[in-house]
Amino acid sequence: MLKTPGWEMMIVWYFFLGGIAGGAYFTAAIADNFGGPRDRQVARVGYVLSLPLVMACGILLIADLGVPTRFLNMLRVLKFWDPMSLGAWAVGAFGMFSFVSSVLSFSTSARTDALRRKIGLVGVFFGFFLASYTGVLLSSSAQPFWSEARLMGALFLASGASTGMAAISLILFLTGASAGEGWGKVKKADRYSMVFELCVLAILLALLGSAAKPLTSGHFAPLFWGGLVGVGLIVPLLLDLVGHRVKTLAALSALLVLAGGFVLRYVVLMSIQS
Amino acid sequence: MARTLAMFTDTSLCIGCRACQVACKQWNELGMEVPEWTGTYQNHQHFTDKTFRLVRFIEEPKPTGDLAWLLMSDVCKHCAQAGCLDACPTGAIYRTEYGTVNISQDVCNGCRYCVSSCPFGVVAFNEGTGTATKCTFCNDRIHNGLGPACAKACPTESIQFGFRDDLVAKAQKRVETLKAMGFKDAQLYGADAKGFLGGLNAFFLLLSRPGTYNLPENPKLPQRNVVVDSLLSIGSALIVGLGALLAFRDRGKGRDDA
Repeated sequence: MLKTPGWEMMIVWYFFLGGIAGGAYFTAAIADNFGGPRDRQVARVGYVLSLPLVMACGILLIADLGVPTRFLNMLRVLKFWDPMSLGAWAVGAFGMFSFVSSVLSFSTSARTDALRRKIGLVGVFFGFFLASYTGVLLSSSAQPFWSEARLMGALFLASGASTGMAAISLILFLTGASAGEGWGKVKKADRYSMVFELCVLAILLALLGSAAKPLTSGHFAPLFWGGLVGVGLIVPLLLDLVGHRVKTLAALSALLVLAGGFVLRYVVLMSIQS
Repeated sequence: MARTLAMFTDTSLCIGCRACQVACKQWNELGMEVPEWTGTYQNHQHFTDKTFRLVRFIEEPKPTGDLAWLLMSDVCKHCAQAGCLDACPTGAIYRTEYGTVNISQDVCNGCRYCVSSCPFGVVAFNEGTGTATKCTFCNDRIHNGLGPACAKACPTESIQFGFRDDLVAKAQKRVETLKAMGFKDAQLYGADAKGFLGGLNAFFLLLSRPGTYNLPENPKLPQRNVVVDSLLSIGSALIVGLGALLAFRDRGKGRDDA
C-alpha cells in the first residue's frame, strides 16, 4: 500500500558524495584545529576535496527535479522540522564554508591560518549536517525499513565520516603525500569511524527486526552482506591491521571503504524501491 | 477558518458500482489506465496520478467457510496531521480554509518526498508534469458549493460530504444501528479527532478490522522521528568527532601553542 518515492541513481550518488564532502571537511577541520603542522596537508586535501563534491551535490539535486528552475521553489520556505527543506539550505551554506576554507587553505600567513581554523570550527557543523541529514530524511518517511530504527542519520554520519577520511587518505597516497604523519592519523581516524559504523549498523538491524528484510534477505542481501559488511567494512579493517606498514594495502583499504559507502546508500535506497 | 469539511464513506452501503471512480476521472480530467487482471474485481490496484478514487474489492473468509465481500471506496484521507504536508520542502502542499490538503501544481518541484511520506500510499508522482498529485476533494467544486464529484455520483449515499462534526455524529449513530443488526465488527476509521493523525477528514465506516481493508491499524506521522533521529545523529557526530580528535591530537610535537 505504501508508495516509495522512486528516487534513483542521482539520489544515490548525492547521498554518497554528500557524505564524503561532509566527512572530508569535518576531518580537515579537526586536523587543522587539533593536529600539528604536519597535518596541514590533510586539512588542505579535505577542504579542497569538499568543494567539487558539494558542487556536484547541488548539480545532482537540481538535475533530479527534471525542471532545473524548480529548485528555486525550495528557497520560498525554511521548515525547521523538515529535513529536505533544511537540507536544501544546508547544501548552499556548506558550499560557502567549503569555498572559503578551500581558498584559505592555500594561505601562508599566520593571520589567515587562524581565521581558517575558526571558520572550520563553524563549518564542521554544516559538514556533519550534510553527512547525516539524508539519513534523518529517510527516517521521517512512512517506509518502515527507513524509519523504524531512527538510526539512519547516525549510520549515514558514520559512513560519511569514514568515506571522507578514506577519500583524503587515497588522495594523499596518489599524490605521493603519504609519507607524512597525517596519513597515519587519517587512517587511524578512519578505523575508529569504521568500527563505530559497524556498531551502529548492528544496532540498526537489531532494532529493525523484520523491517530489515529488504536488506538482509531477498536479492539485495548478497550486495549488503558481501559489498557493505564484507568488502566495505570488515575487509578494509583487516587490510589495515595486517598491512599496517604496507601503504599499498592501506590505500586499497581506503578504496574499499569508498565502495562500501556507495553500496550502503545504494542498498538502503534501492532495496525497497525495486 | 471555516468549518471543517469532511467526507464520510459508509462502506456498508457501497455496492461496488464505481460511479465515484468514473465521476472522479471525468471531473478531474484524469487519463485512462489499462486495467489489469489480478484475480479480483478490483481495478485499479493503487492510487496513481490518474486514479484519485478507487473501490477496493475485498474477500474476507468467514468462520462459516464462505466469503464476505467487503467493498470500500478509498480516497485521500486529508489527514489533520498530514505527513505529505509536513514533508513538502517548497510549501506546495497546503491546507485550505476547509481543512483539506491540496498540492499547488505551480509550486511543487517534483522532489517526491511527499510520495514516500504518506502513511496510506495516496500521493502519486505524475511523470508528465513532473509534480505530485492527489485528490483535492474537488477543490474547485467545493469552493462553489457543489461537493466533490464522487459524493455527487454515489447512488447509495455511501459517500457523504458535509461538515465534519455533523458527519461524525451521523456516523456514530450508523455504527450503533449496524451493531444492533448483527455487524459485530462495525467501526469507524479516522473519525476520532483525538485518534491517529489528529483524525482523518475522509473517514470511513468499516465492517471489519482496518487490516482487512489493507488500512494501517495505527498510522503514524512520519515526522515524529525527526527529533529522535537528529539527536542520535548528533550523538554519532560526537563519537566520530572524538575518534578523530584522538587520532589527530598533537602530542606536543611540533606545535608550541598546543
